[in-house]
Amino acid sequence: MIFVIDDDKIMAECVKRASKSDAKIFSDAIEAMSAISDGELPDLIFLDVLLNGPDGFTFLNELVSYDDTRKIPVVIVSALDFNGKGLDSYGVVGVLNKDTMKPEEIREYVEKYAE
Amino acid sequence: MESEVDGILVAAHELKAPLAVLRQLALSFDEMEPEGEKIRSEMVQVSERAIKQVNDLAKIRRLENGLFKMEPVAIREVCDEVSRELGLLFRFNNRDLYIKYSNRSRLVSANRELLYSVIYNFLLNAMHYSSEETKSELVVRESGGRVKVLIRDYGPALPIDVWKEIRRGWLKKPTSIAMRPGSSGLGLYIASKFSKYMNAEVGAIRHRDGTSFYVSLPISKQMSLF
Repeated sequence: MIFVIDDDKIMAECVKRASKSDAKIFSDAIEAMSAISDGELPDLIFLDVLLNGPDGFTFLNELVSYDDTRKIPVVIVSALDFNGKGLDSYGVVGVLNKDTMKPEEIREYVEKYAE
Repeated sequence: MESEVDGILVAAHELKAPLAVLRQLALSFDEMEPEGEKIRSEMVQVSERAIKQVNDLAKIRRLENGLFKMEPVAIREVCDEVSRELGLLFRFNNRDLYIKYSNRSRLVSANRELLYSVIYNFLLNAMHYSSEETKSELVVRESGGRVKVLIRDYGPALPIDVWKEIRRGWLKKPTSIAMRPGSSGLGLYIASKFSKYMNAEVGAIRHRDGTSFYVSLPISKQMSLF
């Protein structure tokens, strides 16, 4: 199962479509964390950083603080200009820039971590 | 001034999100008819250009903090890179781009990222005002310890009052240079801001059949290895 967490619905749909999977879309971190608490453990998460409410980094902190979620691979999908250095301890396996990313790059992460 | 710049920054961020979405939508089209494929490429190109322009606007805010380092830059290499990137767009629109280097390869004192944007904006402007019958020209020449990059189009002549304004000094805001049909003058405004930061001269030459915009930079004292 794949989670896409992005408060921009159209962008989230684009990521889901590119993943060619039945990904679940969440518009904020609380909603996604609540689904995880209810027992839905995703194989891969595509995470936006600037979210309504708690941001992507807060979500990552939450994720690594539990034993069953700390190893879930996360791909940051953001318009911010950063390379994700130092975030590997948070399970971040890659960073995609919204300005330049291509569907095949999303698909590559899915093939590597969720199939 | 502060509020003007902040306004630009806000506008930049506001514009960027939908542009990124537009690009993703275009890339999402799986099955396209031949005509659909052309539209798709156009959507991708338009959004990528717009994203670049918005990023340039955001950089204007960073100019004030002096975050762009001046260094020796191989000017031909930058021209090659920009023309390679925009070459696809020229071909896509059936436009010709003529490039002529009439100087030795030189290092100029500049910031590579900003110089790239200046040349990119001038070339994009030239393409906009060219037609299938007319070409755009990029000429690099050297004179008096400086290297000048001229970008010539064969579009509508630049109104004389606007030309005088450019001659007087630096452009203060994009709206004041909206002088040719279909132009907000934003590209020239960005080029002007970036050139000023680099202590480069930027200007325009009026022709009876078009306009040349130019940027002139001092040759770096560091020995050229190219």
